[in-house]
Amino acid sequence: MNLLDGYGMDTITMAGPLEAKLEAMKSVGFSQVMLMARDLVGHPGGVKAAVKAVQKSGLRPTGFQVLRDFEGLSGHLHSYKVDIAKSMLEMCAATGSKVLLACSSTSRHATEDLDLIAKDLKKLAMMAIPLGIKVAYEGLSWGRTVNEFTTSWDVVCRADCPNLGIGIDSFHIFAAKTPLDAIEDIDPDRIYLAQLSDFMWHETPSFEERMTTARTFRVFPGEGVHSDQLADLVLRLERIGYRGDYSFEVFNDDYQQLPLETVAERARKSATWLHQDVLHRSAPLPSWASTSKRSAI
Amino acid sequence: MNLRTTDREAVPEMPNRLGIQGIEFIEYATNRPQALGQVLEAMGFRPVARHRSREVTLYRQGGMNLVVNANPDDARVSATVDGQAEISAVAFRVQDALKAHTRCIDLGAWSVASHAQAMELHIPAIHGPGGTRFYFVDRWQEFSIYDIDFKPIPTVDQHPAAVESMSYFGLVQYIGSARSQDWLAYYEHMFDFSVIADEERFGILPKGKLMKSPCGQFLWQLIEPDPWMEADEAPESLKRIGFGVKDVAQAVKTLKTNGVEFVESKELHPEDRGALTRSALGSVSFELVHQSV
Repeated sequence: MNLLDGYGMDTITMAGPLEAKLEAMKSVGFSQVMLMARDLVGHPGGVKAAVKAVQKSGLRPTGFQVLRDFEGLSGHLHSYKVDIAKSMLEMCAATGSKVLLACSSTSRHATEDLDLIAKDLKKLAMMAIPLGIKVAYEGLSWGRTVNEFTTSWDVVCRADCPNLGIGIDSFHIFAAKTPLDAIEDIDPDRIYLAQLSDFMWHETPSFEERMTTARTFRVFPGEGVHSDQLADLVLRLERIGYRGDYSFEVFNDDYQQLPLETVAERARKSATWLHQDVLHRSAPLPSWASTSKRSAI
Repeated sequence: MNLRTTDREAVPEMPNRLGIQGIEFIEYATNRPQALGQVLEAMGFRPVARHRSREVTLYRQGGMNLVVNANPDDARVSATVDGQAEISAVAFRVQDALKAHTRCIDLGAWSVASHAQAMELHIPAIHGPGGTRFYFVDRWQEFSIYDIDFKPIPTVDQHPAAVESMSYFGLVQYIGSARSQDWLAYYEHMFDFSVIADEERFGILPKGKLMKSPCGQFLWQLIEPDPWMEADEAPESLKRIGFGVKDVAQAVKTLKTNGVEFVESKELHPEDRGALTRSALGSVSFELVHQSV
């Protein structure tokens, strides 16, 4: 049992080749990784080589990101997105990831009808079933129709499909200032991904500000100005019974310029803060104290 | 007033939007077709026709059609390990094959590309669990699809009677752990299968979840690995066929004279409710299930 077992990093936080990112995460003690499609398709050896690198690292994929703007389209746009979704699902399955992250649509071509949005997400979830994949639907804070977790949960309930759940992302919750009380309405077993990050601004009123901040200036939990809220969010998730993974989705232009070990170390500190100071979980006992390892005398 | 009698009790009608009317054929993939043929013949199947362009043989007994696919160009055949035959497809009889296929694709199924040669039937299909396929066949009343793609084997009875009137009763699908709800939702949504209560079971292997086809002609059993078998990462698959039979004891007796062996342990042995054949070729077993007419 490792203190960091329930936490992981997103590859998007670091610069460099996939193998170096995986190695950096592993070196500070992480045992899982949130992958993105670009890790695979941008790998110099191609998708197969990238999959091998993930398998060789021994890191468990937390999930695979990201399918964008899938829902609410019609005609040829819908067919096009179904093809894209299939490729994403195939790559997701190839890496051994059990969760595909799908973000709420920003497209002005998409319908605002929540029932039609739910219907499309159910289709996506059905496509994922034979591959053994769950779909985590996340409300982007600049999503056109779905931009809060309360609405993404509403849509997931309307779709009513066991492998369709929501993805929680602290950034979008704080950016949209969604009251945290609504966490209690969510079935913890249907939260398929919880991504955490903080940021430095108190206010992000416009969609443009949210987008810029989300894509360039997020920081690890505990490093920004929303630490108390973030702690509150994690404690609420804990209280409703969420026992899944926490992944740090930290888009940050500065971190893209730092040595990978430095970034991974910041992530480790953040996970330790969450684990010990927020969740008040004890550090694991050293291995010599574990009774299961004791040899019979 | 024009109330129909059924309105009084709101009896729900089972939807059957694909117009499923039973199983047209079940397909095995193997690179050892003769070895599998022997196993099938012991179970009462007879080879009746061969495919015109591929290494595929049609077996039959009573109303059951079974196809053995040994076409070396088929990835599902080359994927079979050490000649271990696997159930590679199930073909459903439907009202309109194109409509059924289109509906399933609209609902999120993955289409299978057709490899039909000139003058052969294009049977629309979707991907099933593992590397399997579900075919949709609508021409089962006016004429036989096998007349087009297959050549009858000369001098062989094209319609051999079934051993003890056996018929397709259902399929057993092995699924990953905690996957029951996913597959229940999938089959309910795609094919209008409905869940059977946990108390209602047939045969001697009652584990897992059981579903019924909307036509009521066959069952579908979903079995997860046991909780203590966490390391069981075997791919999901269609594990075995169940045959319905009126008199299990009589069928067991007849099949034993054909050389079929049955599992006879303290916990599991032939009885009135059903019986299980010993695995042949490492992976092929069949289940007999008592079926009242």
